[in-house]
Amino acid sequence: MSDLEAYRTKAAAWCASMVPDFGRAARKGLTVDEDLALGRRYQRAKFDAGYAGINWPTEFGGQGLGHIEKITFEAEEMQHGFPNVYFDISLGMPVPVLMQFGSDRDFVKERVLKALRGEEIWCQLFSEPSGGTDLAGLRTRAETDGNGWKINGQKVWTSWAQYSDYGVIVVRTDPTVAKHKGLTYFWVDMKAPGVTVRPIKLAGGDSHVNEVFFDDVKISDDHRMSPVGGGFAVAMTTLMIERYIATDSAGFGPHLDLFVDLAKDLRINGRPAIEDGRIRQQIARNYAMRSGLDSINRRARLMMEAGMTPGPEGSLNKLVAVRSRQKLSELALDLQGTGAFLFDEHASPKDDWASSWINAPTGRIAGGSDETLLNTIAERILGLPQDHRPDKGVPFNQIPA
Amino acid sequence: MSILHDEGQQAIASESRRILEARISKDDLLPLLEESGRYHEGFWTIAKEQGWTALALPEAYGGLSLGLVEMGLIAHQAGRTLSGAPFLTSGFGVAKAIQLYGSEAQKHRWLPGLASGEIIGAICFAAGADPLPSTPPLALVDGRLNGVASAVSGGNAADVAVVLANAGGQPALALVELSGVKRELVESFDNSRLIADLHFASTNAEAITTGEAARAAALHILALQAVVTAHEQTGGAEVLMEIARDYALTRKAFGQPIGAFQSIKHRITELYGLVELARANAIHAAAREGQHDFITAAAAARLSATEAYDTAARDCVQIHGGIGVTWEIGLHLHMRRARTLALEQGGPFFWEDVLVDRIAGAAA
Repeated sequence: MSDLEAYRTKAAAWCASMVPDFGRAARKGLTVDEDLALGRRYQRAKFDAGYAGINWPTEFGGQGLGHIEKITFEAEEMQHGFPNVYFDISLGMPVPVLMQFGSDRDFVKERVLKALRGEEIWCQLFSEPSGGTDLAGLRTRAETDGNGWKINGQKVWTSWAQYSDYGVIVVRTDPTVAKHKGLTYFWVDMKAPGVTVRPIKLAGGDSHVNEVFFDDVKISDDHRMSPVGGGFAVAMTTLMIERYIATDSAGFGPHLDLFVDLAKDLRINGRPAIEDGRIRQQIARNYAMRSGLDSINRRARLMMEAGMTPGPEGSLNKLVAVRSRQKLSELALDLQGTGAFLFDEHASPKDDWASSWINAPTGRIAGGSDETLLNTIAERILGLPQDHRPDKGVPFNQIPA
Repeated sequence: MSILHDEGQQAIASESRRILEARISKDDLLPLLEESGRYHEGFWTIAKEQGWTALALPEAYGGLSLGLVEMGLIAHQAGRTLSGAPFLTSGFGVAKAIQLYGSEAQKHRWLPGLASGEIIGAICFAAGADPLPSTPPLALVDGRLNGVASAVSGGNAADVAVVLANAGGQPALALVELSGVKRELVESFDNSRLIADLHFASTNAEAITTGEAARAAALHILALQAVVTAHEQTGGAEVLMEIARDYALTRKAFGQPIGAFQSIKHRITELYGLVELARANAIHAAAREGQHDFITAAAAARLSATEAYDTAARDCVQIHGGIGVTWEIGLHLHMRRARTLALEQGGPFFWEDVLVDRIAGAAA
């Protein structure tokens, strides 16, 4: 057995041992607050077992292992529906950036440890009402205030801000230069005076995203994590940190065998749905698409194990998987007819077709919309030209609003 | 077999690409469309010289004892340059049928010639829309074959065929020497495939395997060929995606490269996605030869490769505008080949059913 296979076996056994306390059944019927409390206990258990910060330096409480171990663990972990969603963003982007760019190292170390143990949560304050994809077009501003800074403005779509202790934020510190050049990167205390968080209820009924308002929020200059005007580069680093995360060819929706089971149980115009050519075609096409993604991901893992850099085709995962999940979920509702109407807004998108369907648009928009991903692949991988950008090089305060 | 190619395999890919790009041009391929019964002999010469015909056959019979992965690498490059003959795949299918199911005498008689490429093989399984008919139109009685095998790719040049026949109500796979068999050339939209109807009239045929085993064997041979073809289709789709990209970077309209318009840019990016999915499935399937899920993997590879090549052919022409539909630019060579390869070795409907039968259990 290879070292990695031994690691996987051990991780699988640990995950299985957590199911009674933290699995889907244990979470059923909990309020969000109860679930978050359970999530904190789960995160602590992970930390104690050596599965938190798997690929982070040991000096910060991590395990000092590689991406490959992290992905291996996550692939096991995601089979059980544990309450880890509250920490995905926190540990995925803001805290690694803090580790890399935070200036007060003792403070950083304490924060990282508490985040790894699930005691503190960090959010990422990037998107604004004026735009998410066009990050550099943001309008929240920080002005000098004595030796520090004063922040005014609004962020939106901030995941888990209502439970966050801290956040990382990109703000405009100079509106007189081109939009990318006038940004600076800070961390903020989410409990500071002047910070107001308002949850946004989403179409599927849950409220994990928020509006966050900043009214004269004062911070000292040691909160700054980039040179003044150098915030965009740090924000880009943030987006590149977790390039290799565990992916799911089902697009974080139900797996295809659930669709096959449904088709075996139901009939179309009196005939078994599983014998209907339209249904069979969709099963076959979805299988081929998902097996292609699985193979891409398996190859990426093998390359990482061999110390190579995986190819860029991994960037297809979210684009391809989520939009096909959306269509397959619609088809699953079609199959059930009026039997599909019964709706449980607390059901999991991973095993409930209606929940998968209603939450699918979020997946196609958050973390890079389909259109943005297509542009990124076109430009970065295929070398196609950037879109026409009328605001290119124009000082921010001269761009027509 | 790993889905990560080792150095030797990478060398096979780069060397075959170098040779084919240097020695095959669309100017040689275009005239073949307007002639009957001719194929690109230069391509076949290269295949023989380079040992591609011997790649996946056992050393004991003049082969190189490599496998489906290496065959796939060659087929991918052949697809990129519009392979000049169908025999690379059908000769491989015939050789595998003999190797896996034939007698020692049959192996000695045929495999060395198939490995050297001096003997050309064809597969006669399909009857029109049915790639594996339950009652094949060919009848095998007492070692004599009667009936017409229609639209056999490579049939006009083949020396030997493996046929699926009806042997007194039982399926049978049989080996037939084709000298003296009447052939009727089928004028097709992709003429260099040498598609022909083969008229068997009390032709000597040796059964290789009979009964349900014959049907399973035929499906296995078809799947092996389908994986080779999936690589060829992926190569074709890949090169079309690149041609479309290069054209979109140079052709200008309204003061900018047309690749700056999202309608073009995103279309090409979607092709990239289809090509990568097809590649991943094809590589996976080649690595699953001999495993319990090989047929499933072959079906998935076949479906995504067919979608990739057909879509790439359609969209690459569209992105070129008027010039794309001219004879001279030759994109229609890919349109034609994409459809030909979609239909050889069983079309999408066939493989969809094979796949769903396997993942859902056979439908009642």
